[in-house]
Amino acid sequence: MQDTHITLAHGNGGRLMRELIEQLFAKHLHNPTLNTQLDATTLPWSASQLVVTTDGFIVKPLEFSGGNIGSLAIHGTVNDLAVAGAKPLYITLNAFIEEGLEIAILERLIISMAQAAQQAGVSVVAGDTKVVQRGEGGGLYLATTGFGVRIATQSLDFSTIQAGDALLISGAVGNHGIAVMLAREQFGLRGDLQSDSACVFPLTEALLPFTGLRFMRDPTRGGLATVAHEISQATGHALVLEQPTIPIHDSVQTVCDMLGYDPLYLACEGRVVAVIAADQAEQALAIWKTLPQGQQAAIIGHVQTGYARVILRTALGGERLLEELEDDPLPRIC
Amino acid sequence: MQADYWLIGGQVQGVGFRPYIYRLATELCLLGWVKNLSGQVEIHVQGTETQLHTFATQLLKHPPPLAKPFILQHTACALVAVNSFSIASSLQTQADIHVPPDYFICDDCLHELHNPCDRHYHYPFINCTQCGARYTLIQRLPYDRADTSMANFPLCADCQAEYDNPSNRRFHAQPLACPACGVGLCFREAQTATTPFIYNARQTATALSACVQALQAGKIVAIKGIGGYHLLCLARSDTAIQRLRTRKARPDKPLAVMFPIHGKDGLTFIRQQLQVSPVAARCLSSPVRPIVLLPRRTDCNLSAFLAPQLNEIGAMLPYSPLHHLLLTALAEPIVATSANLSGEPVLTDNQLVEQRLQTVADAFLHHNREIIRPADDSVMRVIHQQPRPLRIGRGLAPLELTLPFRLPYPVLAVGAQLKNTIALAWEQRVVMSPHIGDLGTARSIDVFNQIINDLQRLYAVSATAVICDAHPQYASSRWAKQSGLPVHSVYHHHAHASAIAGEFPQALPWLVFTWDGVGLGQDGTLWGGDALYGQAGAWQRVARMRPFSLLGGDKVGREPYRSAAGLCWEVGLPFSVATIDSDLLYHAWQKRLNCVTTTSVGRLFDAAAVLIGFSPVVSYEGQAPMFLESLCCSQISHDIPMLPLSRVGDLWESDWSPLLPYLQTTQSSQQIRAEGFHQAMAQALLQQALKIRTEKTVGQIGLTGGVFQNRYLTELVIAQLNAVGFEVFLPTQLPCNDGGMSFGQIIEAGNRLLERV
Ligand SMILES: [Fe+3]
Ligand SMILES: [Mg+2]
Ligand SMILES: [Zn+2]
Ligand SMILES: [Zn+2]
Repeated sequence: MQDTHITLAHGNGGRLMRELIEQLFAKHLHNPTLNTQLDATTLPWSASQLVVTTDGFIVKPLEFSGGNIGSLAIHGTVNDLAVAGAKPLYITLNAFIEEGLEIAILERLIISMAQAAQQAGVSVVAGDTKVVQRGEGGGLYLATTGFGVRIATQSLDFSTIQAGDALLISGAVGNHGIAVMLAREQFGLRGDLQSDSACVFPLTEALLPFTGLRFMRDPTRGGLATVAHEISQATGHALVLEQPTIPIHDSVQTVCDMLGYDPLYLACEGRVVAVIAADQAEQALAIWKTLPQGQQAAIIGHVQTGYARVILRTALGGERLLEELEDDPLPRIC
Repeated sequence: MQADYWLIGGQVQGVGFRPYIYRLATELCLLGWVKNLSGQVEIHVQGTETQLHTFATQLLKHPPPLAKPFILQHTACALVAVNSFSIASSLQTQADIHVPPDYFICDDCLHELHNPCDRHYHYPFINCTQCGARYTLIQRLPYDRADTSMANFPLCADCQAEYDNPSNRRFHAQPLACPACGVGLCFREAQTATTPFIYNARQTATALSACVQALQAGKIVAIKGIGGYHLLCLARSDTAIQRLRTRKARPDKPLAVMFPIHGKDGLTFIRQQLQVSPVAARCLSSPVRPIVLLPRRTDCNLSAFLAPQLNEIGAMLPYSPLHHLLLTALAEPIVATSANLSGEPVLTDNQLVEQRLQTVADAFLHHNREIIRPADDSVMRVIHQQPRPLRIGRGLAPLELTLPFRLPYPVLAVGAQLKNTIALAWEQRVVMSPHIGDLGTARSIDVFNQIINDLQRLYAVSATAVICDAHPQYASSRWAKQSGLPVHSVYHHHAHASAIAGEFPQALPWLVFTWDGVGLGQDGTLWGGDALYGQAGAWQRVARMRPFSLLGGDKVGREPYRSAAGLCWEVGLPFSVATIDSDLLYHAWQKRLNCVTTTSVGRLFDAAAVLIGFSPVVSYEGQAPMFLESLCCSQISHDIPMLPLSRVGDLWESDWSPLLPYLQTTQSSQQIRAEGFHQAMAQALLQQALKIRTEKTVGQIGLTGGVFQNRYLTELVIAQLNAVGFEVFLPTQLPCNDGGMSFGQIIEAGNRLLERV
């Protein structure tokens, strides 16, 4: 591979494309079931319940503090399987590469993806690459499909949620959103601020023994507030969040305060929100806190009878309403 | 012998109008009846021509003080076989319904309250047809005791006799009661929340004295009044007030003070502390009994913590018998601030208040008459020789106004996001709710929903369309979209302008200056420093302030330095404040991140305060402009920078940039710069008005929007406009701030609806 940047020829099915796949994708993502010679892969399968998810990844910039689009694609996919009560096993990958992308960067992203996959215990078992013309893509777009085996015995469904249930979060919110924004706007690093992008399977697995576990979700786009709205609307109950208990890193809070963002609406890529019966919440929290990813886990609220809305109770006992996310929030002070 | 038929409309319910007619008719030896038509009053009188003539001349001469009757119909009619004059039982029909506001205690009741020989002696809820709660205790109409929160208090024999006696002033006084059969008080220290609430006459007396003692000891007591709870503490005690401020996390926002009635006109105590003009005096003692903002006297010895860095105090007189008893016993001024958590409507429920204020109040004085819906105290400020409402509340609301047109169908206007009120309008009537508050809290939304339902139910009117602000993120606008009714949206400043046009419908065409915080404008930017020309339903923007950037969304309200930064960076000047690292903000400004464009004069005031050295961050919205105004006291004209006026597209635009160096110069005092800033803004307005007059017919000028709560600015502007021959109007019945928005929405949308009909 003599060129340093991706050209349209890398997508024409010829030598360059073969080299790209062999020397980058296959090399780093190698595993026993990945066979780039064949059109399809045969997977060993013995479980009764297959869990499938699919996802697309667009992020600007491609690399940010604490991660990049490669690791993000793995985490985003396995997390969707994990919160559904599954153990993630396999991933397929589609890469849409923009003409002009530096190959060294692409390699970094693929290495990072391979590491993330390895840590998450998943194999990339099939893939495809396409090259799009300059200006038609943001460097690299990734599309993935994830397969896992269901290991949860509960139904993990909105319909099991009851008034009184507790709401847990596995760690601080908003880091991913702020890390990406700082990188995109080239604001430079702010202290230790990093994306929280990570595989949450250890966290979700740890809660599966709880009979009172109702529901789990990873608060990605729209953040914690949006997950709260989804739960509230699906159940018809109010959700009460206790502001002082919600973990937020100081550096995230500082940037949010300055720019006027609300961390509750910012994306996380390595957190879990869990709804669990109130009498099991403390125990579940204790278990999360023993895990490296759950050091800052907290019980942050509860489900309350009444109509669907999300209430944020402040330290002083005030009850602010958290509205649904808007595309373009405008000031309302008059 | 001949007969007359009268139909009387207006405020004639729950105000003793029928007993008045009964007395008049029987004095004149007329026969017939007076009858309630759930809103209007029908009178049939028969007698000699002279008798009927006297009746006709007397009818509207001395009606009960609270009645506002007018004649809808007067015709001769057929004689009927009757041998006396009687008050016939109510008829429920679809006539005009009027829900009375809550009235202050009348002189007769006040006299009985303090008379040890009267059986109502020290009964804290004494009332009659001429006084007492109405709006806050009426469950449904027609107005009968069974449909009020007095339903569970059966009348004793004495009270029943008064209720049944047409010549008694408590004849059909629905909420009447006495110590034997009425409402009781219950005093509880905080942290006793598990013990039961007990109410009886003996408890009431001890509760009252325990409450007085607690206050005298410097404690904070939450006291249930007419439209909600107040937090009370001594107005001369720095420690009590500081404790209240710390516990409520309200470091700076002014606290209102209730003064005991003393002296000939009752205002002696107030006059000892504050400057009371004759207009203000009338306003203080008016039936509304509002909070009136009054300048401190130089020898005022009230706590400096009541209104830090401001020179006015909100004062009021006791209005309910309970407040009279407390203030008489205390004989000194007392802080009386709405008991709520910031932005929420005032608390009304016994249990909820103990729960929500457990860490704020030391004790609670409850009563067992339910408050059906909240009403905060009304707030007034005298500007340009007239009291202007800043907040519509207890005593004023529901506020009824007449529309300058007839609506084809009933509509509901849901107001703005902050200082929310709602308005229900049908035919030629519009009824406005009291101040509901900031719609960002769960409790405000609950009250907002309740009032929307209650007003429609009370007036037996169902809205068939909803009018909301064009800003899609106001909670009221979201409510409108989910209501299932057709929605008409109105731009914020069109509604502001239409509100004043609706108050003075005879004046056309208008030039209205709408200066406020921010509101969504027609071009998608945030307006707030604009001039609109035309008339309701057809406004054209003709002038504005030079646009600038606002950074950080709703944070601009509490962080005025953001406005100052926005101005400085706009013109390439540096901006920094010692306590804030604004590097990141500057980068965000360069990248237009969470950054919007505005013409807001409210934000210019914020910026000006910071640029002359005021705190970059404040604890309540409007604090910086209020501080800036409070610096102004002289009428001296300063050497001020003129704001260049230029043509930008089809608009005249005033450029604020010369103000930036002026405000930051340390060569002159803060006072001079503050006064100079106000004068420069007034000049800018004048220049815009003069320029527009060269192009268009300007009948008269309207000033509205929250900025014109500023007396110094408003009076400067009026003087300058008058000097060049403009006639100037200010809102008089409605707040110029967003509290008047719901009325303006009705006027604006109503005009557009009519065009389509
Ligand atoms: Fe406004
Ligand atoms: Mg996903
Ligand atoms: Zn009375
Ligand atoms: Zn009685």
